[in-house]
Amino acid sequence: MQRKSGPSKVTKMVVSLSAIMLLSACATGEGEATATSSAPTTSEACTVKVGVAGSQTGGLAYIDVPNLEGFELWAEQVNAAGGIDGKFTIETVVKDTRSDAAQSATVAAELVAEGISILITPGDADPSIAAGQLAQDEGITAVSWFGSSPILPLAVGDHMFSNAFGDNTQAKVLADHATEMGYQNAYTLGSPDSAYTNLLPGYFKEAFEANGGKVVGEGTFSMGQASFSVIVDEIKALSPAPDVIMTPAYEPDFPTFIKALRGAGITAAVLGTDGIDSPTTLALADIAEGVTYTTAGVLKNEGAMSTFFTDYNAKYGKDPETIYAVTGYELGLTLDAVVKQAQSCDADAIWQAWSNLEGAQGITGTISYKGGDRMAIREVALVEIKNSERSLVGTFAPDPATVPKAQL
Amino acid sequence: MDALISYLVNVISLGGTYALLALGLAVVFSVLGLINFAHGELMTLTGYVLLAGILTGQPFWLAVLVAVIAGGISAALMEFAAFRPVRNASGATLLMTSFAVSMLLQVLFQNGISPRGQAVPVPTWLTTSLSIGNSQISKVQIMSITVGVLSLLALKFFFDRSYWGWAIRAAADDFEIVGLMGVKASRLIMFAFLLSGLLAGVAGVLWVIQRGSVDPLMGFKPVLAAFIVAVIGGLGSLTGAVAGGFILSAIEIALQTWLPPNVMPYRDAVTYTLVVIILSIFPNGIFGKKSQEKV
Repeated sequence: MQRKSGPSKVTKMVVSLSAIMLLSACATGEGEATATSSAPTTSEACTVKVGVAGSQTGGLAYIDVPNLEGFELWAEQVNAAGGIDGKFTIETVVKDTRSDAAQSATVAAELVAEGISILITPGDADPSIAAGQLAQDEGITAVSWFGSSPILPLAVGDHMFSNAFGDNTQAKVLADHATEMGYQNAYTLGSPDSAYTNLLPGYFKEAFEANGGKVVGEGTFSMGQASFSVIVDEIKALSPAPDVIMTPAYEPDFPTFIKALRGAGITAAVLGTDGIDSPTTLALADIAEGVTYTTAGVLKNEGAMSTFFTDYNAKYGKDPETIYAVTGYELGLTLDAVVKQAQSCDADAIWQAWSNLEGAQGITGTISYKGGDRMAIREVALVEIKNSERSLVGTFAPDPATVPKAQL
Repeated sequence: MDALISYLVNVISLGGTYALLALGLAVVFSVLGLINFAHGELMTLTGYVLLAGILTGQPFWLAVLVAVIAGGISAALMEFAAFRPVRNASGATLLMTSFAVSMLLQVLFQNGISPRGQAVPVPTWLTTSLSIGNSQISKVQIMSITVGVLSLLALKFFFDRSYWGWAIRAAADDFEIVGLMGVKASRLIMFAFLLSGLLAGVAGVLWVIQRGSVDPLMGFKPVLAAFIVAVIGGLGSLTGAVAGGFILSAIEIALQTWLPPNVMPYRDAVTYTLVVIILSIFPNGIFGKKSQEKV
């Protein structure tokens, strides 16, 4: 089951009603102080008002919370230094979307009414589409924390971007790795419950079969389902037996699946995606040994990341647990480069600069948008779990011509 | 033959967990007329207590025991703090209270522990499988079946032979009469919550061990399944809760095993359609009492 290319009628109705209610509120004086943009169009000092429609609670909190922590660290540092270029300060307005698409639209409408210069949306396509549509209509740039489904910008429009590489790109990296390892027969396991889990197996299949491999079985699961025993039985019965299994399942489904898989004695290699880059996967110990997955970078307190670890620890009193804290900080660095280019807090100037951004320096590498499909053009890191630790296999930037086309 | 063995093993292991969960709901419903949607959060709490026990180096059996007891005590506290003050309010008020407790606990878990799931390390002997004929059955499933069946037998013994067991069964038939016979309502309700919490604890431990992690929202899907199970069996029927658990499990596993791949994404929709068909044949659930409204 594929997602529709745009927001549903219900979503549009919710969005419209929310907007009407907010406009009414403004008309009666509520929110009067924030209804106009604080953004001059010159290079005079001004404040970039960043609206964050993120999930502080619910099923997406695991991705949005660390991203926000990273971003707020960056904003604090920038403001402490007097702002971007010493004159563009950052104001962050955070509202909880509760991991719900309808609530994301409501929150986005509230933030747009507050005169934001840019909107940050949740790290998943479905709520980001609902929120991004509001920003699109108002000519405001919207950027997803790390929603990696390439349908996201296509479904919303030219003002919707994502801080993530596309799922088609990470699937291509996994397929090339499988081919390089000599795997010939693959099994894919997806779920129709989200664009991420629904479409990634298809991208992998297209790329793997283009490389000469064969997908011998395709399974589906329901997110949060009690048991994967039946799926494991199905894999055991396949002939030829798969030598590699690819799945975009993430917590809590991935631990359940791999426990059932290894518990049944199946030793085929397992390939995963960025959703499993977390301590939960590492804590699976022997069961997760050898699991290889794509992600934005290797979260280790060394090299370019050591300064981030120090700063993060100073602010939050703990080490970052997932790479999403780094990607949140990198979204800040991207905004830094954009505002330097735009020399303005104006929403349209920011959009122009974001669309043409090239080579912004992040922590894991450079980030560009110019010439792309509004998904971040950034390297994909391939990581293997060895002795319960992340080990870098390599970083890859596949030729866009060989990457499967985004499916709507 | 192997497929049949696998099917039965999967049905019994999942059905036992569903039955334990639905029994927990049914016990409270029988004395208070309330479907406690915070039951799932009791499972989640059990999972976190189990994790804490394991991480602090307690023996696995002790961590499990403490986690199950924590589920029971938490349910009793929940009754005292949240449900007792509104006991005489309408059913809708009780239901809203259970939703409020559920959401409050979810947010507490998310903000107090972590929005991310936490891996629960279980002993390595539980991660392997045994060969039965040509079939391989994981030890987690064997443990689920064993614990599920033993728990259900213990419950049957409790309901058949103990004073409180009789009282709860009698309350399921007519709560007011039980009161007239000298059973104190407050103690009976408190005991029902305690028992419900212990059942949530056992089911929670099985769920967490099978899934390998615990997260703040873990309880939602199981409590939804338990609600459906309780409705299929007949709300308030303890026998029905057990039967409903195995019926829902049999439907889910059968569809997952034999549904054509191109229809598989609609599995949940097919499952609930079958549930509706069952309810259209048995409007009060399979073991439910016919409702009689006096005019």
